[in-house]
Amino acid sequence: MRDKLPLVLLIILGVFGLTDRFLPHPVAEAFNSYLRDTLLRIISAFALILGLGNLILRHVNKIKHKEEHWPHSYVLLISLIVASVIGVFGGISGELWFPTSVGDFEFDITTIYFNVLTPLGASMFSLLAFFMASAAYRSFRARNWLAFLLLSSAFVVMLGQVPLGHAISPAIPEISQWIMEVPNTAAKRGIELGITLGVLATLLKILAGIERSWLGSGR
Amino acid sequence: MIWEKLLNIDRRIVFLAMGLGIILPLLFPTNLPVGAQRVTQRFFNTVDEVDPQEQCLFISGDYTPQNMPETHPMAIVLLRHGFSARIPIIVNALYVEGAPLLANGVEQVMEEFNASSTTRADSIIYGRDIVYLGWTPPPIVPILGMGEDIHAIYPDDYYGNRIDSLEMMEWIRTYDDIGIIAALTGGSSPLWYVMFAQPKYGVKVGAGCTAVCAPDFYPYCGTGQMSGMMAGMKGAAEYEEMVAQKYGTTGRRKATEGMVAQSAAHLCIMGFVLLGNFAYFMMRRQKERQV
Repeated sequence: MRDKLPLVLLIILGVFGLTDRFLPHPVAEAFNSYLRDTLLRIISAFALILGLGNLILRHVNKIKHKEEHWPHSYVLLISLIVASVIGVFGGISGELWFPTSVGDFEFDITTIYFNVLTPLGASMFSLLAFFMASAAYRSFRARNWLAFLLLSSAFVVMLGQVPLGHAISPAIPEISQWIMEVPNTAAKRGIELGITLGVLATLLKILAGIERSWLGSGR
Repeated sequence: MIWEKLLNIDRRIVFLAMGLGIILPLLFPTNLPVGAQRVTQRFFNTVDEVDPQEQCLFISGDYTPQNMPETHPMAIVLLRHGFSARIPIIVNALYVEGAPLLANGVEQVMEEFNASSTTRADSIIYGRDIVYLGWTPPPIVPILGMGEDIHAIYPDDYYGNRIDSLEMMEWIRTYDDIGIIAALTGGSSPLWYVMFAQPKYGVKVGAGCTAVCAPDFYPYCGTGQMSGMMAGMKGAAEYEEMVAQKYGTTGRRKATEGMVAQSAAHLCIMGFVLLGNFAYFMMRRQKERQV
């Protein structure tokens, strides 16, 4: 029963999901809208609870067993609790009953978002440029002709993506666009066709009940 | 010996050079002509051709603080374009992390336009010229649901107003009333619109994306499934230039300001790669001679 019920549900709902595309009947469309706009939202809410529970359990266990970098888990749990309490009981801009300011110092969830989360996120992403520079310097070697071709096109695209390329020669952005529009597009199309065919095959196997690994390990 | 040293420069020196390369142009700004890529020009033209009496511009701001430096200027310039051409604008966010950033952008550009307006007619009024729908999960729900009824998917806007009470939303109900969806992202949300909304409802889609995502979207621009693209900060700078040239907008152009710093960073990376290769070949030659 534990195996069959999810499988039956998946097959029925999966087939109904597909009919929306191939059977433009008002009943099928109405049922699909209900599935999408109501059931999917409820499932998403449960997924959030599941994800949050999983995150908390994972980090509590990490602290309990003193796994590698366990003090970082304290940072995560404390930040999660503090931000949740401020957000849930203080409101978006401190309009609820929980105090979100001390004198001129404000710490409502919007202030935290713009002054903590936003700069932290932007800093994390911008670090990539530094690591990319270091990695490219260490490993980007023209050891053979193919590597040389790759290196040359990388240089042209890098120059074409900044005004400096245009300042050196208007031909550089043109060549860069050609690389993106022709060889890049050709390769991407091949890759995407392969991926899509793979997804389609897996989907059919799941709908037919042949592929059951999503039910859990060992099935 | 010297080649070996050049091959193993301390990574802190690489970081320092990159840091200086980025910071100095930002401290001492200079201008470089940005040019215009075909995909950006097509995006601009498609937005510009939207008939304000019939349809609106839809900005789907699906970005997060992480990729904000590249994507937020795109939202700002699209808002400026829409307001300048008097095209009604709808904004939404598919990711919750980006929702407050968009609200900030909407308020900033509204203030910018209203500072120079003198009458109610040339002011930008919330509900008449722009509506911010906010965020509703999961992304597939608004993407498909808006084809049937935007009011059902977003009964309230980001600020808690009933959608039905907003002037502009009286005639905007489905994708038929949207001229183009401009999906701004650091991921793949333009593809979701192309895959799910476009085949069923025939809506036009344009992409604004980080430079690393751009290769994924070129095939769709080639087939015409995407009506243009702003590829990275350069794409945003090009679009800023086009809007400024056609409408004479005067607000701060952050993507254009970042172009010299980005040029310097690219030059720095290329310099280090060339240095590494030069040292590698010299060392190889030296070893061959010794053998």
